[in-house]
Amino acid sequence: MIILVILIPFITGILVPAIPFRKRWQKEVFLETTVVLNSILVWYLLLHHSDSTFLLAHFTGNLNISFRVDGMSMVFAGLVSALWPFATLYAFEYMTKEKHENVFFLFYTLTYGVTLGIALAANLLTMYFFYELLTLVTVPLVMHTLTREAVLASRKYLYYSLGGAAFAFLGLIMVIVYGSTTDFIFGGVLDPAKTAGKTNVLLLIYVMAFMGFGVKAAVCPFNSWLPQAGVAPTPVTALLHAVAVVKSGAFAIIRLTYYSFGTDFLKGTWAQDVVMAVVMFTIVYGCSRAVKETHLKRRLAYSTISNLSYILFGAVIMTPLGLVGALTHLVFHAVMKICSFFCAGAVMHQTDRHYIHELNGLGYKMPRVFGIFTISALALMGVPGLAGFISKWNLACAAVESGSPLAWGGIACLLVSALLTAIYMLTIVVRAFFPGKDFDYSTVLDIRDPNWKMLLPLFVFTIFIILFGVYSQPIVDFFMSVAAGAV
Amino acid sequence: MFPILLSIFFPIAAGVFLLIRYRTPLSGEKRNTDRKALLLLTGCFLVITAAFAVAALLTGTGKDGFILFNLTKTLPVYFRIDSVGTLFSLLAVIVLPFAGFFSFEYMKHEERESRYYGFYLLAFGVLNGLCFAGNLITFYLFFELLTLSSMPLVMHSGSKEAVMAGLKYLFYSLCGAYAALFGIYFLYRNCDSLTFTAGGALRASAVAEHGGFLLVTAFVMLLGFGVKAGMFPMHAWLPTAHPVAPAPASAVLSSVIVKAGVLATIRVLGMFGTNFLRGTWVQTAWIILTLITVFMGSLLAYREPVLKKRLAYSTVSQLSYILFGLAVMNETSRTGALCHVLAHGFVKAALFLCAGAIIYKTGKTRVGEMRGIGKEMPLTLWCWTIASLGLIGIPPTGGFVSKWYLALGSLKSGLPVFDVLGPVILLLSALLTAGYLLPLTIYGFFPGADYDYGSLQKKEPCKLMIVPILILTILSVLIGLFPDIIASTIDMAITGR
Repeated sequence: MIILVILIPFITGILVPAIPFRKRWQKEVFLETTVVLNSILVWYLLLHHSDSTFLLAHFTGNLNISFRVDGMSMVFAGLVSALWPFATLYAFEYMTKEKHENVFFLFYTLTYGVTLGIALAANLLTMYFFYELLTLVTVPLVMHTLTREAVLASRKYLYYSLGGAAFAFLGLIMVIVYGSTTDFIFGGVLDPAKTAGKTNVLLLIYVMAFMGFGVKAAVCPFNSWLPQAGVAPTPVTALLHAVAVVKSGAFAIIRLTYYSFGTDFLKGTWAQDVVMAVVMFTIVYGCSRAVKETHLKRRLAYSTISNLSYILFGAVIMTPLGLVGALTHLVFHAVMKICSFFCAGAVMHQTDRHYIHELNGLGYKMPRVFGIFTISALALMGVPGLAGFISKWNLACAAVESGSPLAWGGIACLLVSALLTAIYMLTIVVRAFFPGKDFDYSTVLDIRDPNWKMLLPLFVFTIFIILFGVYSQPIVDFFMSVAAGAV
Repeated sequence: MFPILLSIFFPIAAGVFLLIRYRTPLSGEKRNTDRKALLLLTGCFLVITAAFAVAALLTGTGKDGFILFNLTKTLPVYFRIDSVGTLFSLLAVIVLPFAGFFSFEYMKHEERESRYYGFYLLAFGVLNGLCFAGNLITFYLFFELLTLSSMPLVMHSGSKEAVMAGLKYLFYSLCGAYAALFGIYFLYRNCDSLTFTAGGALRASAVAEHGGFLLVTAFVMLLGFGVKAGMFPMHAWLPTAHPVAPAPASAVLSSVIVKAGVLATIRVLGMFGTNFLRGTWVQTAWIILTLITVFMGSLLAYREPVLKKRLAYSTVSQLSYILFGLAVMNETSRTGALCHVLAHGFVKAALFLCAGAIIYKTGKTRVGEMRGIGKEMPLTLWCWTIASLGLIGIPPTGGFVSKWYLALGSLKSGLPVFDVLGPVILLLSALLTAGYLLPLTIYGFFPGADYDYGSLQKKEPCKLMIVPILILTILSVLIGLFPDIIASTIDMAITGR
């Protein structure tokens, strides 16, 4: 069954251009049904998982393609499968204004399968395989509009990702050579007998592999592909470049750190200090660029860069609490950011305005969208009572607990970034609701909220932002058990 | 339990209701009837909220505290009424409804009045929540919400200046809040719980292990929350933001909302314990900052020609009187500080409303233009004069009592240099206070021989405006005439019952 959830999106995707749908709604129903069914299947699989490993192909020695459900895969697969149906629904409405719909939905749905492949991979090789595949299936989505800008962006995306994967490959080799197995085992698989005397080389390779996977997670200095990739249609930017693709990078780093190299091996070494410093820098850098940026989607993309490094910051604290913080932010940020991206997309879809200075006075014309945007902005800032506060609380507490002064500096970075987040998000809100005394309302006369296909996902995400904010105990408990290696 | 929850969530719900129900601006023929309905609703909401809050204070149901729910296992949203909370809540419950009634007339010609009332009610609920919060997390929650709900009041007029001022207010406040949050993360690690307890909640082992770092944390938190209280060097938002708001909103901002910073400071002192901080570099640095602010605020107010801006600088200075009293860290000075919370609260609200009445009736904003104003609006200017005396600290008023305790506490404290320097600076500042408040009285009542009495018109504002001013002025005198009642409440606050 585990292979089924990966295959269904593949088949569906390929069928979309192949079946000659008479009407558009038939295609919509077909796509939405299969995606929802697949998501239900994924959740069923996660809730009734067994510890057995599904072996798909065996190469040589201990190299094989196999799948397994463990705690980490539950978090990531659960997240992705919860968001995908909503994003698809949103895409139906959004894509009415774009061309080449079939191609779009082909690759969009393929990506679903590939992402699940990453989430459910049982060993480093399988994950690496799907990781490369993810780059390839998402390139056409970035290129979608076929403008010169889009082609350049996708080319950059391709080179960056492939280059990063090459570095990550080094890590894979090292684990194959110096580990007892390539399977993901909580606590790491490095064999102390083999690694003796080679610590520094291994640490160097870890840093390189971290940066390699970090390309997808947009770690500075490998982040410039992400804002550029914002030329893609909004469902892609929102789901792939705020959740699926970039979080695959973060997910891969967590796998590498906690399940392959092992925190016992890495903790307290210079490698930890190096990656933590890089991550801390990225947190502040991303936010500062977001403040400077005037294009709405690109501003949100820079915000993603910063927030991804929150996740990595939690991960490189390398304590169970740190991992809890990382996982909390992985999930909560996904909901918050997809929500704000969808708002941005709704504005672009309804008004064709892309720059922040064009948003003046829209708040009264699109009250629902901007109301929701305000909530997601407050959540990203970390106002108590909304999701962002809890995840930042977990991250900061883990940093305090770790007792390392560098991590304490990290808290300061988090807070500086929170302030910058307030600046780049709330200035948008203020523009929308306080356009100035002499604002000419006739310029926004015909603008109104989008229809239910766009609003429904927004409402659902808002509910989750608030729910996670006021009642996150069960989900945090689950992260605790994942971080303790119990699931 | 229920009065507390109602006093918090009823106005919040009511505010949201107003924002949604009246989301389009009132216009057309039905504007007047619609407006009446809006005002009636708002008035009822204000009175009901105040009633709930008073009920919460009187019934004493909140003394034991209760947990509303848990954000996570270790983060309870916890409410409890203690005496410090009571004191601050008292101020909010009196000032907010009166300033609200005042705005019914003042906001007559403004657009989008409903937005103003909506956020006004939101801020009222949030203030109640702030006063009744029983632990640091709950407090922080309402502290951030307070900034967010009062920002639209600053921006209300929608002019570029107002919007920029609102953003400045927002970013300064958030900057302070995040500095405080930094401290909260560390307190959480080093305390058994974040519930407010008298006399400090730090673990002894934590103090022994990294006391030095905890002092830094305390200082960062005091600075952070000090932003809201307009303490040097983060005071700059206050003179920008307060004057651009509509006058009743500036009254509330200046007399109540900035006090949130004071309340926060008291809570922080409670968490760390004065014994931990007394005699450390944190205390010295803090006292220096407050004294600088006291003097600088007065001096800037003295030089400022625009009336509302002058009052805003005065707030900067007066709030640091309170902070100075807290920083000295003995009981007498603390009594003075808490007394001054009430005294300054009533006086500053009255003064801002007077200024509002003058602006509303005459359109004059600069002190220099207000010659002869006492002939046109005698009642308003009498109120101004009496309230001014309170702020300067002339005997029968509340300001005298609080300053007396402040000076006494400082002299008794035995601190090197500051035990004498403190009162000296307070006195100098009082002199300046007289210098910046009384000219309006003098030129208002005695415009000089060349004043043109012929063109004089009666411009006394209507009852809706003058009655709130009168009541607040009378209150500011009453607390000076009967300081025993206040002092006994405050004594309770200090002993922590």
